[in-house]
Amino acid sequence: MSEAGFLELTGIESAYGSTAVLKSIDLSVRHGEFVALLGSSGCGKTTLLRAIAGFVTPTAGTIRVGGYDVTQQPPDKRGMALMFQSYALWPHMTVADNIGYGLKLRGVSRAERAQKVAAMQALLGLEGLGERKPANLSGGQRQRVALGRALVIDPEILLLDEPLSNLDARIRLSVRHELRALQQRLGITAIHVTHDREEAMVMADRIVILDAGQIAQQGSPEEVYNKPASAFVAAFMGAENLLTLQGSVEGDRLVIAPGPANALGSVPLASRPLVSGAIEARFRPEAAQLFPVDAIPTLGPGMTFRGLVRSVSYPGGVWRHVVQLGDREVLADSLQAFAAGDQVALHVPAPSLFLFNSDANRIR
Amino acid sequence: MSRRVLGLFLVAPSLAVILFLFILPLCLSAVGAFRVDQAWGLGNFWKAFDLYTKDILFSAVIVGLSTVLIGVASVAIGGYLTLGTHPVAVAILRWLYRWPMFIPFIVVGQILRAFLAKNGMMNNVAVSLGLMTPLDATSFLDWRGIVIAFVWKQTPFVALLVAGAMASVNREGIEAAVNLGASRLRILFEIVLPQVTTTLAVGLILSFVTMMSVLSVPLMINAQSPTMLTADIAFRVNSYGDYGVANALGLISLVLAASVAWIYLRISLKEQA
Repeated sequence: MSEAGFLELTGIESAYGSTAVLKSIDLSVRHGEFVALLGSSGCGKTTLLRAIAGFVTPTAGTIRVGGYDVTQQPPDKRGMALMFQSYALWPHMTVADNIGYGLKLRGVSRAERAQKVAAMQALLGLEGLGERKPANLSGGQRQRVALGRALVIDPEILLLDEPLSNLDARIRLSVRHELRALQQRLGITAIHVTHDREEAMVMADRIVILDAGQIAQQGSPEEVYNKPASAFVAAFMGAENLLTLQGSVEGDRLVIAPGPANALGSVPLASRPLVSGAIEARFRPEAAQLFPVDAIPTLGPGMTFRGLVRSVSYPGGVWRHVVQLGDREVLADSLQAFAAGDQVALHVPAPSLFLFNSDANRIR
Repeated sequence: MSRRVLGLFLVAPSLAVILFLFILPLCLSAVGAFRVDQAWGLGNFWKAFDLYTKDILFSAVIVGLSTVLIGVASVAIGGYLTLGTHPVAVAILRWLYRWPMFIPFIVVGQILRAFLAKNGMMNNVAVSLGLMTPLDATSFLDWRGIVIAFVWKQTPFVALLVAGAMASVNREGIEAAVNLGASRLRILFEIVLPQVTTTLAVGLILSFVTMMSVLSVPLMINAQSPTMLTADIAFRVNSYGDYGVANALGLISLVLAASVAWIYLRISLKEQA
């Protein structure tokens, strides 16, 4: 069995009535890889997961596991286990019966079943809860029972549909790491659907960002975070600050025309596929550096804007400022607090400034 | 204080209706069962058991058997409506199965009388299809006819309740079982049915009590002995003016119905514990 392309999706399409939900999805997942499908609600990520699981038949395309075409196979013939968002535990069965049901269906003897269920309970920290009903468990315990039920049948691929969204924020942080550690220990291939960017970042080997039924970008967490391929990905990955600039490509630099908040400047093109014209510039609040206008130090490559602090708040760690740059307001973090009404210089280093041609240019 | 008086005043009409038209007649007939010739005694009951023990057993067995068959049929219908994969078949079944609910018992009796008789439609069809000869034709107008009538009439009601309860079972729970490789039948019996047992029990108990009180079906279909208690009660009252034995028979059928309700209460208490 080849390591690369263990789970191979080719040209997967799906439609709900006349609305296309998935548009020609190609995705190749290595054996043992943890892939996060990330996107906002309605982007098709759950439909894609259900298509992989076999609950949705794609209108076009093929799904292969280990080289075998499973597109028309029923869910249980794909070597996959799906863990549902609602956990979908059976309320009339005990924890042990819930976990062991998959084994019962496979005709595993009662003794062996008890032994495997006990081992799974030990693995997931559910010892002593075997005789309880799901209604008498905490949210975190239910989540682990659902995970145990999926893992006990030794699936080759574990599919997770927003498994952490029903947990308290505090538990969620630790469960992320537990789930990731467990996946690595078992060496299982995992596809994880989530709308939580940070969750995808800390758990996944690779993030696949979906937008309107298409893959907007895929890559390692560092790649999608630091090198977003489109304005959508940049915004989705937290670069919500948006400025519109005029730029012209000159050699290996992009020269940015003076605007309401900036003087003439330039940044290295650094293999960005830009053309001259209107430029959409995006950056994260934490990428901005704020200085008093009368004390700007020598700065590296990047763009410096001048603006007015509108308000300031303290979300923890850094001060967050609302800064007006021309007719736009942006957020900027700084270790040092500025007062509302202060004139400031806002510098964004070149690597953190995400530049894209505006839609008008792209259409042309 | 005045609010409390006003509240009592508002419920008084409905309370009076229940008291005088329901509780009082029930008490009077229960008391009447123990009155023999202006004196207290169990004479009515001895007479009832003496004359109608067969009919009491007949009623219990017929209604019990019908309840079991209704349970099986309604689980089958509810299960297919919930787990069926053929959308057209599911839609047809959903449209079709409720119809008998809107047909009164007396009409059911009449329809089945015409259908199940020795020269009725069922045998005629079987003969014309060459499945049997006219000489082999037998009438189903006996205990079998009553069971068929009860099941035909009551299944939609229980199926309606059961299908509704099954529809509200977590869909993802069913998919989780499919994902693990459970067959449709196993999902029905191991995942869906255990989650709707209370609803099924309620539906079956209500059906049991309804069937215990039906007079028209035994009169129309089974005009022979043994017959059901309702026919006996009507006979005691109409032919002899014997309210004592009729009251005793009424109390006996009340005990039969109550025993089923008691079983249900025990189950639901155990479930809550």
